[in-house]
Amino acid sequence: MENRISHFAAAFALGLALAGSAWADKQTVRIAFIGPLTGGVSANGIGGRNSADLAVRLRNDDPKAKYHYELVSLDDECKPNIAVQAATKAASDNSIIAGVTHYCSVTAIATVDTYHKFGFPVVVWGAVLPDVTYRNKYPEVHRVNGTMINQNDVAAKFMTGMKYRRWVVIHDTTDYGKAHDKYFTEYLTKYGGQVVGRYGVTADQQDFTAELTKAKELNPDVIYFGGLTPIGVRIRSQMEKLGIHAVFEGTSGIKSDSYIDGLGPKLAEGSLSFIEGAPWEKLPGGLFFTGKYAQAKYDQGPEAYGPFAFAAANLLMDTIEKVGPSRRKVVDELRHVRDKDSIIGKISFDDAGQNVVPLISKYVVQDGKWVLWEDSEYGSGKRKLK
Amino acid sequence: MNIGLFGQYVANGLMLGVIYAMVAVGFTLFFGVLDVIKFSHGDVLTVGAFAGLATYIGLTALGFTSPWAQLFVVILVATAAMAVLGALIARYLVLPLRTSPPLNTLLLTLMLGSALRECVRLFYPQGANPKPFPRLLPQDSLALGSFSLRLDNALLLLGGLAAIAGVHLLISRTRLGLAIRAVAQDGETARIMGIDFERVVLLTFALGSALAALAGVMNGLYYNEINFSIGLLLGVIGFSAAVVGGLGNIYGAILGGFLFAALQTIGAVALPAAFPQLPSAYKDVFAFAAVIAFMAWRPTGLIAERSAERV
Amino acid sequence: MNLVAIAAITAYAVFLLRAESQAAVLGLIVLAVAGVPVLGKTGFLHKLNESFEKHKKTTLIGVLVALSVLVALFYDQHFVMLMLASVLLYTVACLGLTVQFGYAGVVNFAGAAFLGVGGYASAVLGPHLPHLLVLAIGGLLAALVGSVLILPILRTRGHYAALITVAFGLLFRTFVEVNDALGGPQGMQVKGMNLFGWDLNTGLGEASFYANYVAVGFALAAAAFWLVRRLERSWIGLSLDAVRLDETACAVFGIDVARWKIFAFTFGNFFAGVAGAAYAMMTGFVAPNSFTFGDSLILVSIVLLGGLGNLWGVALGAAIVLVLPEKLQALQEYRFLLYAVLVIAILLVRPAGLIPRRARRYFA
Repeated sequence: MENRISHFAAAFALGLALAGSAWADKQTVRIAFIGPLTGGVSANGIGGRNSADLAVRLRNDDPKAKYHYELVSLDDECKPNIAVQAATKAASDNSIIAGVTHYCSVTAIATVDTYHKFGFPVVVWGAVLPDVTYRNKYPEVHRVNGTMINQNDVAAKFMTGMKYRRWVVIHDTTDYGKAHDKYFTEYLTKYGGQVVGRYGVTADQQDFTAELTKAKELNPDVIYFGGLTPIGVRIRSQMEKLGIHAVFEGTSGIKSDSYIDGLGPKLAEGSLSFIEGAPWEKLPGGLFFTGKYAQAKYDQGPEAYGPFAFAAANLLMDTIEKVGPSRRKVVDELRHVRDKDSIIGKISFDDAGQNVVPLISKYVVQDGKWVLWEDSEYGSGKRKLK
Repeated sequence: MNIGLFGQYVANGLMLGVIYAMVAVGFTLFFGVLDVIKFSHGDVLTVGAFAGLATYIGLTALGFTSPWAQLFVVILVATAAMAVLGALIARYLVLPLRTSPPLNTLLLTLMLGSALRECVRLFYPQGANPKPFPRLLPQDSLALGSFSLRLDNALLLLGGLAAIAGVHLLISRTRLGLAIRAVAQDGETARIMGIDFERVVLLTFALGSALAALAGVMNGLYYNEINFSIGLLLGVIGFSAAVVGGLGNIYGAILGGFLFAALQTIGAVALPAAFPQLPSAYKDVFAFAAVIAFMAWRPTGLIAERSAERV
Repeated sequence: MNLVAIAAITAYAVFLLRAESQAAVLGLIVLAVAGVPVLGKTGFLHKLNESFEKHKKTTLIGVLVALSVLVALFYDQHFVMLMLASVLLYTVACLGLTVQFGYAGVVNFAGAAFLGVGGYASAVLGPHLPHLLVLAIGGLLAALVGSVLILPILRTRGHYAALITVAFGLLFRTFVEVNDALGGPQGMQVKGMNLFGWDLNTGLGEASFYANYVAVGFALAAAAFWLVRRLERSWIGLSLDAVRLDETACAVFGIDVARWKIFAFTFGNFFAGVAGAAYAMMTGFVAPNSFTFGDSLILVSIVLLGGLGNLWGVALGAAIVLVLPEKLQALQEYRFLLYAVLVIAILLVRPAGLIPRRARRYFA
């Protein structure tokens, strides 16, 4: 609590200092952050905001930086109409050069037209729906995180390789969950697995005992869940309640510390998750990020997509350092990003502005931590998934 | 479907029904005394559950670890705190709006609900994320074929039924209950009979809110997880159950609660069996359509308000 | 006097829209929160309301001038124009709801669903039909979809009727989410409005293209305002008021209660549908997430906050409910909390809404 107030005070003081043009020697460049800061998935939005904020702060501490950066954070509530408002607000403000935008796919897809209309370069940091970059292929829209296609390809191949055969798929009915269901089923069938039951659930559902009792009857090897942490926690804990001993396989949406916090280490043990990008814990930049994040003492963790927001903000600032604070130049420059180092691995944009992520990292919960599969005792064969 | 699984569905449905019924009873009590809908009721439940969780964490930190004693203190603190909160809400937010259109009370409590929810999200440490709720009840389970009866679930079910029965006794057998019923029937006349109107209203709100807190703690014990938005859906369902049952009638609220639980379970189980090609997500469409059809059939709920309108 | 008031409100709006820093926004809000009860206590708001009613012409001209001033000042600022157009379109929808809530006493907690019907109509039909027609069809479709509810609504009253609309609102949202033919959860792109070859998505000269939508929104709002005002003043309005106040007495006096309830419900939904169609064309996107129960409640808040049944109150309510959360963006994750607290504060000092509708006066 105290922490929060001091943060607020600090931010406020910073704002005042800015207004007093204390950085007269450096030109101030503003970039926007847009994500869900209120509502059901706000934990992810705030995690992303903090990560982008961290990137800006670190850059401002760097004496070599040519500009002084200021982050303008806007809330999109995970709703398309509010997102269009926020996008218009950022994109029509000429002092804002570029944006780190959107966690929810539906907001990302709703705003691409707005960004295009205003020639406002954005880098999407969380939304995973393929259409965001591929439908219109606007030059302004880029994305550092991967789409869900590769994620599910790897997940299906990996799991069938472990000789699991029967799946029950539970997905939320948002675009995120539905698309996961679609791609996972597609690849699973290709690799010889079988979906014996499929349940769509709403994102605010609390009770899953009816669906899970049915699932229990089907006796699957694996329960695949396409959705985000809050319902992931509920489903995993209600599985236990009903005595279902299947492996719990999630998507990138549950790879967060709050998943483990919400369940306790015992229940979370053995849950699987797949996420795009190099395992950032293993890269030097990743450790740097977690270290700095801890130092900055934010009161919410970075969550699964925090590192992507951090990378996106850094990518934009690097570009601005190189070509200057001009939207057009930033758009031109971003087109040529190839093999650029970042805390999430190399970033290369294809012609649609999509980061072509060759790598998918596999994680498993072991003793209350997300551990890279290859490093885990499960991977070495010391422990066995159920 | 074998009998064990059927039993499992019934057990799940009953548990849901008890929680819904407890929330619905609150709505119906408030409506009874003041003719208002208090939309923040679900969020009071959330705050109650979080108060219980905080108490548990505090107790554990103090080295106080006997589960039964912990359970007792958790429930005591949660219900007492919410009773006070409920009375405060009634005194400072609901009563002042008595003379304005009832819809304005609805708007105000709606906003209060979001304020409470946002407070939990922002000011409870890491409040935006789901929180594990401790298992304070014995976990033994009795397996009968594919049906597993867990002792904690059975206890929760009994506890919930006992709480509802207790409220019923309070309303029908005590002097306070008599006063509540009198105010519900006719506030003006009750006043003339020397009943302190405001006090009865405050006590009713305290009672309903304490019940919500209990439901919140039970919800936590049952799912072993709580989050800041549990109250949102429980509030809507509780309101619906109270209305479907017939506003102002306790039995109606209880019936409505169980009806909703049954509807939900049937929707998730029977619908895909009947229409295999229909995606299971249609179950909610089915449930809401059923509610609309039901209201057209019984326009004043299962148990209609007893006193007929005098024309 | 009302010109002064309008000028003051406009000036306030200009300052609020201009205000960027946290301090300035908060200062302006504190000013309003402190000012309203003072104005209310001294009877100023009441007098103002009276005066608005009395000098209709001057009020109208005043509002026109005020709006032109706003447009003239901000014509090149996209965001302000977008907000202004949103306020105008929401005003249209809420004028419809006012006929339901405020006149006939038919509660409707599914406003966003009818907005959504219009929105989806323009997404599906936009590419094929002239857009003016699409607006009309959006409205008609909303009225048509609403007619499913007529039977249950006629049979029920008060909170029971409210539950039906709540259930319908939730049903609509779930339905569009699980139904892939309408884009599913991902939603659909909507073409910008094009009226007789005039593409509204290209700005005129320096002006923001949203200014075009402000013009359309204003035309719609003015038409809706005029229509509802005529309705209120006519025998229809009298009948509706009677239905709200005492159904039994109505029936006794030969007023067909069912007929007027159906009329009000359909009329209101039509407005919501038209507004939804136009709003979807402006934002260029519809998705189930925009039509949740929470969004219906936003519409209800607008109707109630300004003062139930008062048409000027609707416009004021729309401005507060839509612009305030935007201006609180500076507070980031705290903004919704503060917004909720502010609305509670307003209701506590003005329990019947900001400018409640006054009773009809026989001698006017």
